[in-house]
Amino acid sequence: MSLGLELRDPIHGFVYREPLEQRIIDTAVFQRQRRLRQLALASLVYPGAVHTRFDHSIGALHLARLICSKLLPQEDSRRLVRLAALLHDIGHGPFSHVSEPLLQRYSDKAKLKVKSQDEVHELISWGIIKNNRELARLLSEEERENIVGLLSGTYGYSLYKDIVSGPIDVDKQDYLLRDSHFCGVRYGLYDQGRLTDTLVAHADADDQILALSQDGIHPLEQFVLARYYMHTQVYRHKIRLITDAMIGRAIRLGIDEDKIPWLRDLYSFDGSAEFLENYLEWYDERLFAEILRKESAEGYAKKLFRQLHDRKLFKVIFNAPEKDFADPEVRRNLFGDSDQSFAPLEEKIAKTYNLDRNLVIAYKLSFKSATRTESDIGILHPVGLRFFRDASVLFSSVNQSIQEQYFHVYAPVSYKDERDKHKRQKEFYSDIVKMINEIFGPGTQSSAVAGGVK
Amino acid sequence: MTALDFVLSLISGFGGEIQGRTLLQKRAYFVAQLSGVHVELGYDAHFYGPYSAVVDNSVARLKSLGFIAEENWGFGTTTPSGFEMKRYDYRLTEDGKKILRSLQRAEDYRRIERACIAIREAGDPNYFVLSIAAKADFILGRRGKAMSRDEIIREAEKFDWDIQGEALNNAVNFLERLKLVEAA
Repeated sequence: MSLGLELRDPIHGFVYREPLEQRIIDTAVFQRQRRLRQLALASLVYPGAVHTRFDHSIGALHLARLICSKLLPQEDSRRLVRLAALLHDIGHGPFSHVSEPLLQRYSDKAKLKVKSQDEVHELISWGIIKNNRELARLLSEEERENIVGLLSGTYGYSLYKDIVSGPIDVDKQDYLLRDSHFCGVRYGLYDQGRLTDTLVAHADADDQILALSQDGIHPLEQFVLARYYMHTQVYRHKIRLITDAMIGRAIRLGIDEDKIPWLRDLYSFDGSAEFLENYLEWYDERLFAEILRKESAEGYAKKLFRQLHDRKLFKVIFNAPEKDFADPEVRRNLFGDSDQSFAPLEEKIAKTYNLDRNLVIAYKLSFKSATRTESDIGILHPVGLRFFRDASVLFSSVNQSIQEQYFHVYAPVSYKDERDKHKRQKEFYSDIVKMINEIFGPGTQSSAVAGGVK
Repeated sequence: MTALDFVLSLISGFGGEIQGRTLLQKRAYFVAQLSGVHVELGYDAHFYGPYSAVVDNSVARLKSLGFIAEENWGFGTTTPSGFEMKRYDYRLTEDGKKILRSLQRAEDYRRIERACIAIREAGDPNYFVLSIAAKADFILGRRGKAMSRDEIIREAEKFDWDIQGEALNNAVNFLERLKLVEAA
């Protein structure tokens, strides 16, 4: 049963909604997503990238409908998966993913009783779904619990979660096509219809999982390549990385140095209803406007947001892959699992080049190999399931591709001309490599702590 | 202990080299249990048996860091679909050994080393027996109660895991030697 209301989506065409889905879309808590851009400030490099979490969530609903119709025989489970797809991004904060490390940093984790790997933004999404008054009027308590259970992997078959949040979920299936369209690139395209057509529900012990028939190998290869190219060309574009880093640093400094109380409140999740109520009042433009308000005190946050507003961006003054660091201790300290602080390096760089230490951003980037996320997807085979990484002729050879890791430093510098840029970038590189070796090399405090032998 | 350090110590504990991804996964499964080292590996039931994406990711990162080297061996086309079966071998590099010299002083490293010795002393089974032992141990852990060999085989079928009686006997013997199971 679909509504007669027309909703034309640029990616999927007409999107049909059940009456309940339409009523959810009409709530203020869902409409807020119209004001959360999908790719934060990517429009500073791709001017068309102004699409929002709202469009994306509608697209995810559409794809969930297609997949559920094919794989799930029962309407109650179809409905649950569609609702979970529709609400999967409801907890995003201003500038979407940029908010996540900030929430992780400032939330009261002892009060929340979260494990180290728990993502705070997920708890916020679940809290909104469970407690938001508008949603509570439309969905029973049991339905809300089940949606949260599905998203957290504790309710229903794994298949349900795989559709909404897995390696080939409706989230990725939609955002690749949508981000590609709005950025004006062709990297994220793949044969979505064929991919959906080859999805199968596979019985696995008492569970069911999402897998693909053998005919799905090639559409999945195309999907993996689309994701890879979108990462290299769009998501990892240097301007995008710089803007995300500047937003993150501006908010951190706004809280730690400028002592802006409302900014701390926005990111200090404690599990309370008051927090969620306040959180839902915030979106990208409001955060910009509040920080840049005339009456707001001058400070780091205002300075950095003004620079973002005027597109006066930091520059990449250092960019090195891990293989550039000859010493294994240095590589381990920079790129290993330890929670290494880069503050001493930022301070040293700032001192050397006469910069404000708070405005030097050292940043580690990790990129999984092209197939890592999808490598474990099951492909139906006459003798049982096989990993995609083994079943794909194309990717069985790419499979050895290693994880790429880079170390970046961003800072507010300017160059007189191309020649000056070239000369200074050379200086930055050799100076910063030396500083890194001094701070993170063998026998240093960093090395001792990370090695667990202090 | 971080997962990276755990996997690096594991490879060191088996002489600096492990042949095959399955063998590495299953050895990591048992060493994590036997050593009692606090590391979150998140083993899950996969159609190849208990499998940890964290271990897999750590291997990729250790390769990327240059601490281990990978070699793969093709065995020709062995499946009806024609895709090639491969074995991936891992060995410590000189840089990896250098990192281990700092890890070796930590108590967690010594616990892992003792667990590796225990596995070797229990017969150091090949990947096939170890894989069945991991499946049996996983099933027993999930059920949380004593099960007969037939019950284990029937339960394994639900996971699409093919366990034959003789192979299960070898696996159970191994688990008994490690004191992970006992006759009820």
